[in-house]
Amino acid sequence: MLRVTLRGVRAHAVRFALSVLAVALGVAFVAGTFALRTMLSDTFHGIVEAQAPADVYVRGDAPVAAGPGDGGFGEQRTPVALGVADDLAAVDGVRVALADLAGPVVLVGADGTAVQSTQAPSIGLAFDERDPGLRLRDGRAPVADDEVAVESATLASSGLAVGDRTRVVVSGEVRDVTVVGEVDAGGPMAGATLVYLPVDVAVAAYAPQGTVATVAVHAADGVDEATLVERVTAALGDGTVADAAGVEAVAGQDLRDELRGSIDETLGFVTSFLMIFALVALFVGGFLISNTFAMSVRQRVREFALLRAVGASPAQVFAVVVGQAAVVGLVGSAIGVAGGLGLVGVLRVVFESMGMDLVGDVPLDTTTVVACLVLGTVVSAVAAAVPARRAALVAPVEAMRGEVTVPERSLRRRGTAGAVVVALGAGAVAYAALRPDATGSEPVLGAGAALVLVGVLVASPSLARSVLRVLAVPFVRALPPLGRLAQGNVVRNPRRTASTAGALVIGMALVGAVSVIAATGQASLAGVVESSTDADLVLRSATSAIPAGAVTDVAALPEVGRADAIAFTSGGVSPEPGVDPGPDDGAYVVGLRPGVLGGSLVVDVLDGDPADLDGTHAVVNRSTAGEGWAAGDELTVRTAAGERTLVVAAVVDTRVMSASVILTRDVLDELAPGPAQVTDTVFLDAAAGVTPTALRAAVTAAVAPYVVVSVQDRDEFVDQMAAQVDQLLVILYALLGLSLVIAVLGIVNTLALSVIERTREIGLLRAVGLGRLQLAGVVTVESVLTAVFGTVVGLAVGVGIASVLPRVYAEEGLDQLVVPWDGLALMVGLALVVGVLAAVWPGARAARLRVLDAIATPD
Amino acid sequence: MTTTDTTRADTPIATARGLVRTYGSGPTAVHALAGVDLDVQRGRLTATMGPSGSGKSTLMHCLAGLDRPTAGTVVVDGEEVSAMSERRLTRLRRDRIGFVFQAFNLVPTLTALENITLPFDIARRPVDREHLDAVVQAVGLSDRLSHKPGELSGGQQQRVACARALVTRPAVVFADEPTGNLDSASAHEVLSFLRRSVDELGQSVVMVTHDPTAASYADRVLFLADGRIVDELADPTADAVLERLGALTRRASGATPAQVR
Repeated sequence: MLRVTLRGVRAHAVRFALSVLAVALGVAFVAGTFALRTMLSDTFHGIVEAQAPADVYVRGDAPVAAGPGDGGFGEQRTPVALGVADDLAAVDGVRVALADLAGPVVLVGADGTAVQSTQAPSIGLAFDERDPGLRLRDGRAPVADDEVAVESATLASSGLAVGDRTRVVVSGEVRDVTVVGEVDAGGPMAGATLVYLPVDVAVAAYAPQGTVATVAVHAADGVDEATLVERVTAALGDGTVADAAGVEAVAGQDLRDELRGSIDETLGFVTSFLMIFALVALFVGGFLISNTFAMSVRQRVREFALLRAVGASPAQVFAVVVGQAAVVGLVGSAIGVAGGLGLVGVLRVVFESMGMDLVGDVPLDTTTVVACLVLGTVVSAVAAAVPARRAALVAPVEAMRGEVTVPERSLRRRGTAGAVVVALGAGAVAYAALRPDATGSEPVLGAGAALVLVGVLVASPSLARSVLRVLAVPFVRALPPLGRLAQGNVVRNPRRTASTAGALVIGMALVGAVSVIAATGQASLAGVVESSTDADLVLRSATSAIPAGAVTDVAALPEVGRADAIAFTSGGVSPEPGVDPGPDDGAYVVGLRPGVLGGSLVVDVLDGDPADLDGTHAVVNRSTAGEGWAAGDELTVRTAAGERTLVVAAVVDTRVMSASVILTRDVLDELAPGPAQVTDTVFLDAAAGVTPTALRAAVTAAVAPYVVVSVQDRDEFVDQMAAQVDQLLVILYALLGLSLVIAVLGIVNTLALSVIERTREIGLLRAVGLGRLQLAGVVTVESVLTAVFGTVVGLAVGVGIASVLPRVYAEEGLDQLVVPWDGLALMVGLALVVGVLAAVWPGARAARLRVLDAIATPD
Repeated sequence: MTTTDTTRADTPIATARGLVRTYGSGPTAVHALAGVDLDVQRGRLTATMGPSGSGKSTLMHCLAGLDRPTAGTVVVDGEEVSAMSERRLTRLRRDRIGFVFQAFNLVPTLTALENITLPFDIARRPVDREHLDAVVQAVGLSDRLSHKPGELSGGQQQRVACARALVTRPAVVFADEPTGNLDSASAHEVLSFLRRSVDELGQSVVMVTHDPTAASYADRVLFLADGRIVDELADPTADAVLERLGALTRRASGATPAQVR
């Protein structure tokens, strides 16, 4: 039977070509995701090796919430005093102990703009000559206040050279500096911008409180890691080190493992995210394969009957078909693995051109290859199982029959089953919509949405007849014989049409849902911003932090009447009144000048009066801090620098800030001094008598030296926020794109195969006088009808489900439903175009059939 | 019946001169037609017979513009088919020629009526209602017009096919083994209908068959062997046809075929 299986694939190689391609595309996505992950992981592990080369690290013994502005990986901990480094230097076996002086920096490149590649962080570091991990490649170490050294890759992308003068922004101040050295940091840094400052500058900027995150201890020659850990621990315990309270020593290897672990966790999220789209693509490919085999089985009924007649069991016939699918899957997977690795190779070049260097070759490990091959093969075999069962059930007597007809089973059972599943799903969605506050409403919504989609796919053959009849009306009217013929062809086998369109239904449902959510989100966001601030201008930063100097300079301008900076930090906040906060819940705490709330920031006041905000009072934001707060409750805020217990002055509801607690600036400065707090937005109002144009000109000039600060009016502010949503949308569409491409291949595949299947009929039509163009027209109308059917059904499902979201997520700010009709119409228009394109090859194929050959083909 | 038919009754509706059709080349070449001269008479039912491989189907395909002759000319209703472009051939098939095949004559997604009017739809011409009614009446299918082909018997399907072939008033109808798949009762229905279309509507019909009974409905039978016309019989009976066929087989290949005009 193996020979029959393999010969079958070989004889029909052309028919399986698109199936192979579909598997290959899906598997390429999967393999590419794996390879990208490995490569990113290798790169970041390399950075860990380069950035944490010491033998022992001394750090705080208690973890705290991650602070804003810290771009690095790894958990944040209580700080270590600078003096620890000096004291440890005296311990036996220590070659050098270095405090970790690092923080945000902005480097101005040769073109006068901030050096920043993609989303990688920009980090300022101390250049300590004793640090064994640093190597000067060119020039000398920065010594004077106005000198810096720059990492090699950063130097290349900045366009600067050793000896050039430029500016940097450190701890909110603009400094004119000279680049005096080029530093080799020991490997590709994935695009991070690294600027080395003299030690005293770094201490002032990054350790204003005299504390740092860690102290790196390097061992003297001949002292191993374990010994050094023991000695450092002893030194911390016996009083050799003065400020040893609350610190601990960990082996360098352990710290590196921790960092790698947290990197892999983050990359894991990215990989899972990509993998979802890869699997959707593969799943969609399964539809194509299933269709191919369904049609192939239909055509080969006689062949299977013959096999049965000569003694093959149904199981053997089943195995023949599934085996053929497995071969198709295996070949496709092999091509896909190669394609995926090639894709990542291309991606690496693209990343490099954007200044993000990745290490190593494109990885090719056995596990990935085997996993991809197995995945592609199994998907393909499973997809062919239903057609294979059909083949297995062919009666031997069919071989003797003159004319082979495969009876179409009734669609009623399938339609009913689909309707039941849709009803269940719709019920779940409705439940979630009506009781948005009930616990578990989100999983119910998710499950309901999935059920609706599955139910629609199951019921779609029954839907196909009626929906296609409606969709076909314009074609039947405009192109009488062609439209009528095409309609007959797509309705003739509703299962096939439905499963061809099914691939598109899945992709389009996601597109529909995403576009509604995005439009709703944008509108809600714009509504929130417009209703909550009346500021004339807004300052924002390209690096998420506005330098403190910029805020001061702008506030001092005579044209500015009022400047309200929104500064924030993160810390622990009581989850309920009077309850002690956990140390690491990462809640945002904002500091505002009293009067801003209710002034330039309009908020809904639910209880109390925000005007009472002062040194002993706080305001709670219900949309993030949760229910259960009332004016007069006690609230504790804890950060790395300390904790404060305050009385709740008011409970408000605002979504313009994600902060859960609002304090005064003075309290925030105590809890989060210096670089521990970040200013991300400044609202400005003009002084009396100053025109908006004048205000804007003055502010723009004032922030120009800080490079990263942008000045926006309210509309631009809203547009910028909307643009961020759009960016995300583009990424999602791009990821869904592959599924849509495979869905279109599915249409091409079905059309091409049905042209083969209908050879006789095409011959007849041509003999009766149908021209080639008219024939191609019939195929095109079929294609367009299928594409539009899939698109319309998919969008309807996606939009339908997404329309419920504002009800469920009203609390989270999605309060007004916006259906982007023009965008959806564009999708349907796109489906028309795609339908025409998909018909080009099958249509040409049909038109090329020679009349006589078509008539003479045995059936 | 139209007056033009009677005034031009003496001119043939289709003629072939020196018709050669060779498949392949070199030593493996097959001469399906080895030089055929033929006139198909207007308003007559002409049958072509011969053993398999005699070239009778190829002859019909060449006459109908479905296949291009290697050499020679074909003229149908005054137009030279053998010199036509693909586009003109399509139009010729649509407007001037009717086809009835052995099987698979109907588009399965269209109803019987839609199949019959298909040539008009393709040509975007209005349906000739009167003629349509006459043809439908003649094939006796008035009550089955809204049925799909799958719901009709084999004989009914062939009658629908005949109706479609006739409804455009083609110059000539070519029927390729129209009764090959039918039982004798259904075959009789179809053949009587073709006969009536000649007698009552003045239609010219060319029919390829290997069934002597079918051939006996014709006005004239042509016998083909080895790509040439070797014999002919006017006003045949089934027995006479059978006898000639027997003689043909006995003569075997190599005998000098008689040239028939």
